[in-house]
Amino acid sequence: MSHVSIGRRLQAIAVSTLLMLGAAACGGGDDGGGSSTGPIKIGTSLPLTGEFSQPGTAAQEGYKVWADMVNANGGLLERDVELVIKDDASNQNTVVADYNALVSRDRVDLLLGTFSSLLNLPASAVAEKNQMLYVEPAGGSPDMFSRGFTYLFFAQQATSDKQGKVFAEWVAGLPADQRPKTAAYPTLDDPFAAPNVEGIREILEGAGVKTVYKQTYAIDTKNFDTIVNAMKNANPDLVVHGAQFEDGIGLTRSMLKAGFTPSMFYQTNAPSFGDQFVKGIGAENTEGILYAVSHSPEASTPGNADFVKKYDEMFGGLPPEDAADAFAAAQVMQAAVEAVGSIDDQQALADWLHENEVDTILGPLSWDETGAPTGDFLIGQWQKGKAEIVLPESAQTADIELGWKPGGAG
Amino acid sequence: MNQLIQNLVLGLLLGGVYALVAAGLTLIFGVMRVINIAHGSFLMLAAFITYSLWDTLGIDPLLAILITTPVIFAIGWVTYKVVVAPIRTAPMASSVLLTFGLALILEAAMGTIWGNNSTAIRPGYADESFQLAGLFLPKAQVYGGLVAVLVLLTLGLVLSKTWLGRAIRAAAVNPSGAELVGIKVASVAALVFALGIAAAGAGGAIVGILYPFVPGAHYQWIARLLAIVVLGGMGSLNGAVLGALMFGVAETLTSAYVSPSWATAVPYAIVFAVLLIRPQGLLGSRLREDAVTA
Repeated sequence: MSHVSIGRRLQAIAVSTLLMLGAAACGGGDDGGGSSTGPIKIGTSLPLTGEFSQPGTAAQEGYKVWADMVNANGGLLERDVELVIKDDASNQNTVVADYNALVSRDRVDLLLGTFSSLLNLPASAVAEKNQMLYVEPAGGSPDMFSRGFTYLFFAQQATSDKQGKVFAEWVAGLPADQRPKTAAYPTLDDPFAAPNVEGIREILEGAGVKTVYKQTYAIDTKNFDTIVNAMKNANPDLVVHGAQFEDGIGLTRSMLKAGFTPSMFYQTNAPSFGDQFVKGIGAENTEGILYAVSHSPEASTPGNADFVKKYDEMFGGLPPEDAADAFAAAQVMQAAVEAVGSIDDQQALADWLHENEVDTILGPLSWDETGAPTGDFLIGQWQKGKAEIVLPESAQTADIELGWKPGGAG
Repeated sequence: MNQLIQNLVLGLLLGGVYALVAAGLTLIFGVMRVINIAHGSFLMLAAFITYSLWDTLGIDPLLAILITTPVIFAIGWVTYKVVVAPIRTAPMASSVLLTFGLALILEAAMGTIWGNNSTAIRPGYADESFQLAGLFLPKAQVYGGLVAVLVLLTLGLVLSKTWLGRAIRAAAVNPSGAELVGIKVASVAALVFALGIAAAGAGGAIVGILYPFVPGAHYQWIARLLAIVVLGGMGSLNGAVLGALMFGVAETLTSAYVSPSWATAVPYAIVFAVLLIRPQGLLGSRLREDAVTA
């Protein structure tokens, strides 16, 4: 035995190791059995560990707040609701196994969606195959709604390609001397982030804003120094970053390290994480960062004040956007169930949602025939260490300010 | 040209951090033939402990290395005695399965203690850089590189200049012979496992400053680290350093001159290509038992 055998042995071990890592964790089980008199069982699988644990944990909190409030108010169809929550470990294979288990083994009565388009893509297919209503709190990729599904509904205001529309149109409408002349578009290779940035780029290029950097990076990218160095050389006036959370923090910190502070900075997702975002990059560096957001704790939408109060009681602090989105998804499902008066005919639930508007803490939501929402997002901006809503004017909590000023919020 | 130098410097700094973290993994394999899949989890554990020391006691994360490293060393020693020692003579695949299970347990424990939210350690210098001849050198990476050099030099000196080092090398090359001359191989193995884990402890503090982290981030780290030690030659400390630097530079140059979307893939392609030519890795050598049975 010599080099060849050593190589073979290492190869075998490496392959088995990679297979194990790929398999990761899988969800646990609960006793099955639906009932028409006991609690209504509502199943979901969330990324409570792994790359998307941040939004997954927030979504779990949102669902729990909703269940607690519903049960305190007499339940759903006069029955308590019981959440069956599994952990998909941010893994596409596991989320499919989990939703199949929820349907066939746990025999849940209703399903709620998971987090990120990446996980909702396969999970919603399980729901569709089983002809069960699937209201998702995230998963705004246009790819979600091009499959002809009839049980799928996205409980936010717009799909990801239209999420930055309000921001992009605002930039396009700025006076020429204030409008950025060049822009950079780094984005995570993700079905949510990439279309989001593309939607903004199309509008801005149409307004004459020249693209000087446009690159996609892989989900396991940890080091952003090289990307930032390339952007710094391109010297854009505006950076539009398609991010989830960790990469949003990582790229922003690399920009600070490189001393690269463009005059305007827009980022998807990460800035909407409230205190967690502030801890990630420092309050002093948040000043002026713009982002699209579906929820404002200060909004006067029906039930919002109660949700914010209950969240504070249960988990402390202001609810992150993802918790609010999950709460809204449950509200949408609840509205359909109460309107139809039964959970037996899931087609009827879906039909009702296709035909009606639902009031949620995010505002009124309605959907087209594909389950895609038909509204507009809010645009938020960090000002003096606080998240404000700056667009549209009808929802403003503060006037929009020009410029990213790291070190300015103290 | 300036940009090429900038990217090379960034790549070498990144490689320095990889080297620090990979050193322990290759040390453990070199002496014990244990592929420690839990190495990334110990790295994350060190990052979380550093975070707690910084967040609650205000201890600078670099100074915290002086606390974190002995703590992780002790955890490593206990882990060896309780978990790894019973399968010491089992086939290598058993250690892979065992340490993978250990990684999952550690991940769950960290999630329970610190939560699964993203965590960041941000001392004042975390987002600052040194400026040198038009280049920027991120301070945290420079400090990380210096810590890597210090830890690797210490490890190198211990292995080459001390009685303990000779005992470790003897136990690695010929365990039976080492026992005959009075070396307690089991004790040496426990010490080496703890030392390897402690190196990850020092790395965890640096990694925690450089990147936000969650308990589940260990998957990404162990995938990189395995590739690095295989590239360098499993069991070779110098090989791990060389592999880490190559990996860091390959990642950086790919990101700069090909596309960031290929930055995490191309280094693995290089590993693959190197193994086709040198199955034992860049600085790896034939294993004793392979030579005997050849």
